[in-house]
Amino acid sequence: MDKATKKVLVDPLHVQNPITLQVLGICSALAVTTKVETALVMSAALTFVLVLSNVSISLLRNKIPGSVRIITQLSIIASLVVVADQLLQAFLFDVAKEISVFVTLIITNCIVMGRAEAFAMQNPPGKSALDGLSNSLGYSWVLIAVGLFRELLGSGKILNYTVFEASADGGWYVSNGLMVLSPSAFFLIGLIIWVQRALSPEMNEED
Amino acid sequence: MAPLRNLLDKVAPLFEEGGKWEKLYPLYEAADSFLYTPGKRTEGAVHVRDGMDIKRLMVTVVIALMPCTIWAMINTGWQQMLADPAHAEAVSLGLKSSWMTALSLGAWAFLPVYAVTIAVGGALEGVFATVRKHEINEGFLVTSMLFPLTLPPDLPLWMVGVGIAFGVVIGKEIFGGTGMNVLNPALTGRIFLFFAYPSYMSGSVWRILPAEGAVDGVTGATALGDLVGHGDVSQLGYTWADYFYGLVPGSMGETSALCCLLGAAFLIFTKVGSWRIMLSSLLGLCGMTLLLNALSGSGSTEAIRGYLAIGPEWHFVLGGFAFGAVFMATDPVSAAQTDTGRWIYGALIGALTPLVRVINPAYPEGVMLAIIFMNVFAPTIDYYVVKSNIKRREARLGVQ
Amino acid sequence: MEFSNKYIFCFSLLLCLVCSLAVASVHDELKDRQVKNAQQDQQSQVLQAAGILSPDEKLTSEEIEEYFTKIKALLVSRETGESEVVKITSEEFKQDPRSVAKTADGGVDAPEKEAKATGVRRIANKLRVFEVNVPGHECLVLEISGNGLWSTLLGYIALSPDTREVRGITYYSHKETPGLGGEVDNPKWKAQWKDKRALGEDGEVLVEVVKGVATDAEREIDGLAGATITSRGVDSMLKLWLGDHGYGPFLKTKRGAL
Repeated sequence: MDKATKKVLVDPLHVQNPITLQVLGICSALAVTTKVETALVMSAALTFVLVLSNVSISLLRNKIPGSVRIITQLSIIASLVVVADQLLQAFLFDVAKEISVFVTLIITNCIVMGRAEAFAMQNPPGKSALDGLSNSLGYSWVLIAVGLFRELLGSGKILNYTVFEASADGGWYVSNGLMVLSPSAFFLIGLIIWVQRALSPEMNEED
Repeated sequence: MAPLRNLLDKVAPLFEEGGKWEKLYPLYEAADSFLYTPGKRTEGAVHVRDGMDIKRLMVTVVIALMPCTIWAMINTGWQQMLADPAHAEAVSLGLKSSWMTALSLGAWAFLPVYAVTIAVGGALEGVFATVRKHEINEGFLVTSMLFPLTLPPDLPLWMVGVGIAFGVVIGKEIFGGTGMNVLNPALTGRIFLFFAYPSYMSGSVWRILPAEGAVDGVTGATALGDLVGHGDVSQLGYTWADYFYGLVPGSMGETSALCCLLGAAFLIFTKVGSWRIMLSSLLGLCGMTLLLNALSGSGSTEAIRGYLAIGPEWHFVLGGFAFGAVFMATDPVSAAQTDTGRWIYGALIGALTPLVRVINPAYPEGVMLAIIFMNVFAPTIDYYVVKSNIKRREARLGVQ
Repeated sequence: MEFSNKYIFCFSLLLCLVCSLAVASVHDELKDRQVKNAQQDQQSQVLQAAGILSPDEKLTSEEIEEYFTKIKALLVSRETGESEVVKITSEEFKQDPRSVAKTADGGVDAPEKEAKATGVRRIANKLRVFEVNVPGHECLVLEISGNGLWSTLLGYIALSPDTREVRGITYYSHKETPGLGGEVDNPKWKAQWKDKRALGEDGEVLVEVVKGVATDAEREIDGLAGATITSRGVDSMLKLWLGDHGYGPFLKTKRGAL
């Protein structure tokens, strides 16, 4: 694998992470991370949309007239999002019930538009697919990590499997109510950013 | 004391540059400057304005907190005696003659909370100071004093530890330590507990009604929680004077408005606390309460109308307003720094408090949220005050 | 690259066509499945209220259908209390009474006092009831809704066939504070409801959510700690839906019949 491809693949996971460095897609990161399950499904939906939108926009990149560039990208992304939402409602209804709103909001997720405009418009389909995949993985691991902590600390479970017996069910673990509220995702993402920047000081902005 | 000094001097080389425990220097420094005036002198050109340094400032605040702390123990013990039939005899003698029993009982409740705060918070301070190579700051003395006073006495100790850890790390260290924090660390810790364990902090908290003194360990909503339900101060079971003197159940340090006023007088006298913030928050509270009073006819239910109509004198003594305005809002780091800014900052804290209490039934106590909210805004207020000063002076000098 | 206006126009047209075709065909393909999902979701809520299903249990669609062979769907006239058995899949039963109530002839205004207490402004003329005849779990499942502190709570309450006792309660949608009002879906709290006195001889609502700890074990439910408003909301919505303006007339016919 040459160096440039490797950069496309690895950077979005850490030093160019869409959530923790570019601070994009925060709305959904706050809303769907109360449980690992919803975070996983949301990640899958975003991966689906991002990879396919990158590929299709990259395929069309020489055919798209500059004047209708943005609206073309939007229509493609919006269609993909509707398809993703329909699929979830058909096959994963329980989860879809909770996150349907946020899945449809992927349309406005800056990561998708950003990658289409910044990468897929200039690069061939294979590379764009890779870029879409690595960016969604960068998004996904943060979401799943946040979801893991929120579900574990908020209700003592992981993937609905009881790890700590919650006191409401007669166990010893007193659930942390803050973790169920959206602001806790802010704290957790903040802590992840802290750890990342401590590991890689080049992520710090210059004063 | 000489042997102690000698010991410190003897081990000093171990901690100084090149020493064996160089990394642990902050811990040595903390012990040394806690016990003695630091031997270090500022080198180079300096402007000494007065003899006030952070250490003296913080110790002054701790002294100002003394009335509240002692009262916290007496009242906590007294409330416990009222609930426990075993103390019926002592209770019948009245607080004046059995205050010693109350004090010792209350100390049993307060000191473990305080000890956990010091242990957990102090350990974290030490870790951060060591890693970041700065000195352990005296600021934590105040934080560790304030934090337990804002808690209900029956809070599990592990929650105390979790709360102060959150306060120190998220409220302070994450911004770079004392002096850099946007939020008041003690209050950040309390807010964390409030949202994380609501049923321990604002649900069925420890409470005993005077009429049912014989029942053991009665819990119920606090006065502010009750008022949301019926909006009638005469149903609270206590008089205004009870709330003013602080002979009521509640979070340990905030029950007595009188003790807070004593602390305020001391802070203002020593010029450590800003009288502008205290006065303006009182004015803000009165102003907003009077406005709510005027609107009281528009409430949709009896309870809401009743709550809207409660006068400022009640809002002043109920809950933690006096404590918050005197000790939390005036925190020199997280408050506004300019004089005009302090007026605005304090007034908004005062105004927001009754607004949250009365209008939002989910959060019975408003002062904590009001102060944290204004902490966040303080830099913005200062920015605009400074900017308008510059503009005025430019205009005066004809620059523009 | 320069593109002519004609090209841009055709490109846009083609894009719209392709996108809308794709979306429409996916929707069409999956519609049946989605409708079935939504329906089974509602049905498992009913089973939960009836105490047949515990909250973390999942049933296959066959099992749900199996149960629903023993569950009748009734459409009840709010005014007279007369009921007719309809098919669960029929259009008129699938309509949400809460939206039907908003139309001019689909419902009536709720009395002012109750409307204020519950936030329910309109009550539908036709209300939905599930008559459960599963052996050991015979009950009537009624829809309830009303405001808590932050949100509208939607749920079901199950009454014994003679309407005298509560069999169970469940809330499937709410946004109350976790740990305080959010405890409405705590299994422990819900367990209290079982076998409480529901309605008296004259249809008066007996079951009551009290502030603090219940003292009358026959008909009182502990209030949720630290959630005065949510507890009161639950209490008010029971008074409304089990009372004369809600299911009252229907429940009266049930009481008379037995």
